[in-house]
Amino acid sequence: MAKEEVVKKLEELGNDMVTEIQKNESPKFKTKIRAKSNVLYDPGLGYLLLGNKTEERTFLNIAQAKKFMQTIAIANKCKKFLQENAHTSIRGLFYQLKFSLGEDVEEELFSEQSESNPLIEDLELALDVKREDLNLTTDRKGVAAGMFKIIDRFGGENIEIDGTKLGRSGWAIPSDVDNDIEFKDIKAKYVLVVEKDAMWQRLNEERFWEKEKCILITPKGQASRGCRRLIRKLADYDLPVYVFTDCDAWGWYIYWTIKTGSMNLAYLGRNIAVPEAKFIGVTMQDIKDYSFLEKLTIKAKEIDIKRAEELLEYEWIKAHKEWVNELKQVLQQKKKIEQDALQGPRLSFVVDYLKEKIKKNKVLP
Amino acid sequence: MDHKNENNNAVNNFQKSADIDSSFENFREHSVAEFFKKNKQMLGFSGKVRSLTTIIHEYVTNSLDAAEERNILPEIIVKIQELEKNERYLVTVEDNAGGIPKEFLGKALGKILAGTKFHRFMQARGQQGIGAAGCTMFSYITTGKPIKAISKFKDYVVEAEISIDINQNEPIIKILREDAISENEKSGLCVIAEFAEVKYEESSYGVLEYLKRTSLVNPHLEILFLDPENKKHLFPRSSNIIPKRAQEVQPHPLGLNAHDIYELIKKDNQHRNVESTLINSLARFSKAKAIEIQQMLDFDLKIRKEDFTWEHANKLVNAIKKVKWIAPSLDSVVPIGKEQLEKAILNILNPQHYAITEREPKVYRGGIPFVVECAIAYANIQDNNKKDLVDATTQTKNGQKKAEVMRFANRVPLLFDAGNCAITEAVKSIDWKRYNIDNFEEQPITVIVNVSSVFIPYTGAGKQSISAEEEIVNEIRFALMENARNLQRFLSGRRREQEILSKKKVLYRYVEQLAKDISELSGKNNYNELKKKLEELIEKRYLQSNNVELSEEEIMEIEKELERTENQSEVKKQKKLFDEESIEE
Repeated sequence: MAKEEVVKKLEELGNDMVTEIQKNESPKFKTKIRAKSNVLYDPGLGYLLLGNKTEERTFLNIAQAKKFMQTIAIANKCKKFLQENAHTSIRGLFYQLKFSLGEDVEEELFSEQSESNPLIEDLELALDVKREDLNLTTDRKGVAAGMFKIIDRFGGENIEIDGTKLGRSGWAIPSDVDNDIEFKDIKAKYVLVVEKDAMWQRLNEERFWEKEKCILITPKGQASRGCRRLIRKLADYDLPVYVFTDCDAWGWYIYWTIKTGSMNLAYLGRNIAVPEAKFIGVTMQDIKDYSFLEKLTIKAKEIDIKRAEELLEYEWIKAHKEWVNELKQVLQQKKKIEQDALQGPRLSFVVDYLKEKIKKNKVLP
Repeated sequence: MDHKNENNNAVNNFQKSADIDSSFENFREHSVAEFFKKNKQMLGFSGKVRSLTTIIHEYVTNSLDAAEERNILPEIIVKIQELEKNERYLVTVEDNAGGIPKEFLGKALGKILAGTKFHRFMQARGQQGIGAAGCTMFSYITTGKPIKAISKFKDYVVEAEISIDINQNEPIIKILREDAISENEKSGLCVIAEFAEVKYEESSYGVLEYLKRTSLVNPHLEILFLDPENKKHLFPRSSNIIPKRAQEVQPHPLGLNAHDIYELIKKDNQHRNVESTLINSLARFSKAKAIEIQQMLDFDLKIRKEDFTWEHANKLVNAIKKVKWIAPSLDSVVPIGKEQLEKAILNILNPQHYAITEREPKVYRGGIPFVVECAIAYANIQDNNKKDLVDATTQTKNGQKKAEVMRFANRVPLLFDAGNCAITEAVKSIDWKRYNIDNFEEQPITVIVNVSSVFIPYTGAGKQSISAEEEIVNEIRFALMENARNLQRFLSGRRREQEILSKKKVLYRYVEQLAKDISELSGKNNYNELKKKLEELIEKRYLQSNNVELSEEEIMEIEKELERTENQSEVKKQKKLFDEESIEE
């Protein structure tokens, strides 16, 4: 979203409140309820989003007064960041707002970061903007390389980033891939997301992205906002998205977060979900298909079993019989496999495995 | 002062009556003073702290009664000095009550059972103890020293040492000085006495507490107290009205115990036999009643007073209880009065809130009139000017305020034997939680109850607690409940007020920051306007929420209605009693 537009939204919020106060009304704003009760899954769209329950925050309600004041303080601070063209982390914002409310007042505007974090989300919903639009950054996590070119407008320069010329380290995915980032040239045929950084390094070394004309991404575990947003944006270029994780609780969780979004960020809806993503492996079927894997399985831990049972209850998982089948096998065999196991026969085997799977479309929905 | 009707034969007769019982054969003749010496605990001289309080009580009471009788606004100075560090004290009590004529000085201070009060029956303080002469005796017993008295009566001053011949119950007086009173000197009495086997302590049984309570129910009294650490405690006068004297009435038979009857008979020099003393000295004691009672006795009522014994007195009391009596007249009861009590509470306790209830006169034991007055005071206002003089509520060790029950009978503080007292029982029977007072014991509440009656039914000879007669306990309960409701209203009002205040305070705390942010966020830069407007909004908001509540008057009305239904049965019962009384009158 353009900076000017966000500043305008912030000013409107302020102006509405001035009008209310002048009309002898309590200043207020509306935001959506982010509680679980207002999170729903839309089977047609295939991702989690917030329902229509809204909530009015008003200053004269003693229970809301402090949060109200704090939210407006955040809004005003963000307006300044935008005007100054400066970004800061949500922790940086917290420190900007951690000050005493008066000379002889012991109370601080904010005293814990946990107070400010949810208010940022309130503000995002009230203004219908993302925190990245408010010049708030989150920790960077995730690396990409492959068939893409990006213009990064940074520090008054336009820096071109070529995904094929990043050496061993790759491109660290920033927290905001929307503002001042321009996708210049996407020559890839698909996007491959691999759970682990080690696997990414292995494939990068094999120049897998060149061989397969793809973009290779690792979220390094659970995908960050920036990483999920990047995958979403690449999917919008009609690129298929394949996710490659361990066959265990953590791996499934990473996949489903990328695909349907998460409860916590349900308010971001489609912006952060990739319902068209496919699961490439590792699957229980692989154990049968690749006989060497049989010996490389690990005994499933209690959490893996519990997680599999839980997943079977989710309506968006129940809808896919392949997944029901897969998870039932997990419960039956009580085994798990790490993606690293595919390097068992030889280091480059994983390349063959991925190629074959994609070619034959042996994926789970 | 009037000193007649002395009697020193009391115990001689007591001895004679012992003939009836062979175990008393070896009883030798005792003087009343010796009797006292042996039974001093009966008279309040038990325990070191209590003894000292009793001493002060005797002197202060004498001063108060003397001043009242002479229509003087009493001013009393009490001074207690610790002589050595072995619990030996010098007590000085000085008043402005007119002094004692030289010829009566010895008898007033050195002869037990001699005085102005014993032969008269009206609601008076001096129903208790054994008087200033008892103190003289106690001083002599514990230190072997005489007391010193300086009496300024009319235009001359007498200074004397007074002691007591214990065997004869006769004063030993040594005049030290006689002089004309100097021009600027006021008449009055000053007693200086030394005591051992006593102890000064700042406890709820101690002298300070006694004086505080005394001043609380005697608003016309001014006391200056100098404690052993030479700290000054001033209990200032809060009213210039000298209380109306109780009308002197004949005692009602139902109000007498054996001791009272014994005293009555022995002191009567005008009637030669017991029956005529009874008929002439007691209310409602007719010839017909005498005949009725005679039928229940195994001795002749017409015996000479010299032959009347304790045993006889006991039998007479029991017989009296079995006979129906016409109720005594109500004129004899003099309560403190709401206005006077109010002044004293404000003056001495300086509470944040108080409620006073004066009940209508009621009767107990089928005919003895009494009046209950009750006040509840809540937490004192910290006033630095008064702080070192009086402390309204007791502080516990950790500095927390604690509930305190101040009991009074005929305006005399009852400090001891709280356990059996009607007042204690009534306070305990109240379900304080019903009035939103949790943990009554720990609240900064002072409960003041004064029971006034010509005949207070004390539980023991020490006269420190009121017998828990059902009618008396009920009256106290009703008075307490009325005050508790009042306190509840105050507390809930205060809670609501505090709640609103704290809510407002919270909102006010955020106003500046919010006004600043909105003014900047909107780009209007109208901080001052927004701040002012927001503050107005807060005020308006909490004004509105206040108006939703019932008004004080409305709540009062509702609660009065509740009380009416609560008391209905009680009122009926009382009404019936009064109706009967008026018919018989």
